[in-house]
Amino acid sequence: MKVSGIKYLANQGIENIWKNKMMAFATFCVLLISLLLVGCSALFYINMNSMILGLGNQNEIAVYLYSNTPQERVAEINAQLVELENVDTVVYNSKDEAYQRMQNQISQGKEIFDYIDDHEFMPDGFSVTVINNDQIENTTEIINQIAEVEVAKSSPQVAQFLRELRRVVTIIAGAVIIALAVVSMIMISNTTKASVFARREEIQIMKYVGATNAFIRTPFFVEGFVTGFFAGAGAFLITWAVYRSVYNILLDQGTLMNAFGVASVIPFDDISLIVGAAYLLIGGFVGALGSVVSTRKHLNV
Amino acid sequence: MVELQNVSVTYSSGVDALNNVSLKINDGDFAFVVGSSGAGKSTMIKLLLKEIDATSGVVTVNGYNLNKLRKRKIPEFRRTLGFVFQDFRLIPSMTVYENIAFVLRVLDAPIKLIRKRVPYVISLVGLQSKTNSYPDELSGGEKQRVAIARALVNDPQLIIADEPTGNIDPELSYEIVELLKGINDQGTTILMVTHEHDLVRHFGGRIINITDGEIVYDEVVMGINDEILPEVELAQSMENAASVPYQTALGTEPNGSELPLIDDVIAAITGASQNDGGGAE
Repeated sequence: MKVSGIKYLANQGIENIWKNKMMAFATFCVLLISLLLVGCSALFYINMNSMILGLGNQNEIAVYLYSNTPQERVAEINAQLVELENVDTVVYNSKDEAYQRMQNQISQGKEIFDYIDDHEFMPDGFSVTVINNDQIENTTEIINQIAEVEVAKSSPQVAQFLRELRRVVTIIAGAVIIALAVVSMIMISNTTKASVFARREEIQIMKYVGATNAFIRTPFFVEGFVTGFFAGAGAFLITWAVYRSVYNILLDQGTLMNAFGVASVIPFDDISLIVGAAYLLIGGFVGALGSVVSTRKHLNV
Repeated sequence: MVELQNVSVTYSSGVDALNNVSLKINDGDFAFVVGSSGAGKSTMIKLLLKEIDATSGVVTVNGYNLNKLRKRKIPEFRRTLGFVFQDFRLIPSMTVYENIAFVLRVLDAPIKLIRKRVPYVISLVGLQSKTNSYPDELSGGEKQRVAIARALVNDPQLIIADEPTGNIDPELSYEIVELLKGINDQGTTILMVTHEHDLVRHFGGRIINITDGEIVYDEVVMGINDEILPEVELAQSMENAASVPYQTALGTEPNGSELPLIDDVIAAITGASQNDGGGAE
């Protein structure tokens, strides 16, 4: 086919949107709602996952060295811990800091500290956070094997709970997203079918004058793609506005909400490119596919 | 050229729509296909458009053996034809120009040719002033003229007209058939399905009568009385009428009563008076 022919068919597709504006608008709305349903569910899941991971990152390994460990060795162990595969951060807690903390934790009978002038009995220690909370037990085990480490403790129950929580959230979110995607596909399919059905005679006429299936489908493809693309753009703008508002509200809650891992909610700017591209491409693709597939039945003339 | 050899069509419901039909329409012919509702006319049209397949027999149209024609070759075959339908079948969202140009677009014709050819065929059907009108803005007769222009624009070997006058005023029907006759004079084969016996009687030509899926009459005549069209036994007697030169019927005045020759023949056969027939079916 000549370039002018392709241009003609593309123009026809765009003109058809205007000529069939009511049906195009219906398709646009259905696509927009479908994209929003699935997109927002996916974003909700991603953030839940991030929050759970964030909570996991607050799960630390408390490392205590023997109190007689020389300072040079303490520095070496610090470096050794940083090098460990699953270790994210290592914070050194000196004997003095440990002593200070102990003082703070005791509310009554603080006079006892007046009789203590040497902090040497307190251990040096580290607070270690891990990259993968699921592996925290293994990492604790490795740290325990260092000779100078008296004890390294973590809370595997927390890791276990968070792991379980993530699993449940993934299953529920996956089921919801799949269900919404299926419902959306049915809605889109019915709308595009209705849209194409209204023009079935037009398709038949084209067949009678010798148009190939590809020739008939191309404008429908362009029409569906453009409609879906704009629906994707609309869904992106709505998501952007709503997401930013919710994000700001959550941030304003400050420390209270941080206990639930709100600090790990992903800022929209970090994911805007992926979300935008996903909306536009999925919108365009689903719109085009729905439109083209719906013509199939009417092409058998 | 259209050729049906011992063609039968039986629908899945068990209905025999065509029964062992043989027919040959040569290049340049003008043929009327007549018959009552359910006689098999529409089935024949569907066969010729390759919309359905014959249950048995061979269908050849414009050199294409439709029995062996692959699905992907159907568009190529249909481009050798022109169609005119009773309900016009114009694309409502396209103007007169666009409806006609669409056929050439399908052929991937150069823009220059489209810009030259489309106005030409529009002028042939006398619709220059309606070039940019939409089908909704046209009368029935005008719509049908657009449909004829569309059928004509790719210079087809054969035009199939299925009840082209069925949805328009009787007086305009003559214009439409005149138009088709004019196209036929240029060498295009025309196959026109109709049940308007007044038209057939007026224009004459080759008449093919289908009844109960069989061709019961196929002759070239100057004119014919609609009362006897469905009558098989009378059809046999009409062979005499076939001897009347076809050409002499053309170009006569558009009033059936001015065809005394054929009416005399009919009167001789039926014993009826000249003025008895003439009502539409």
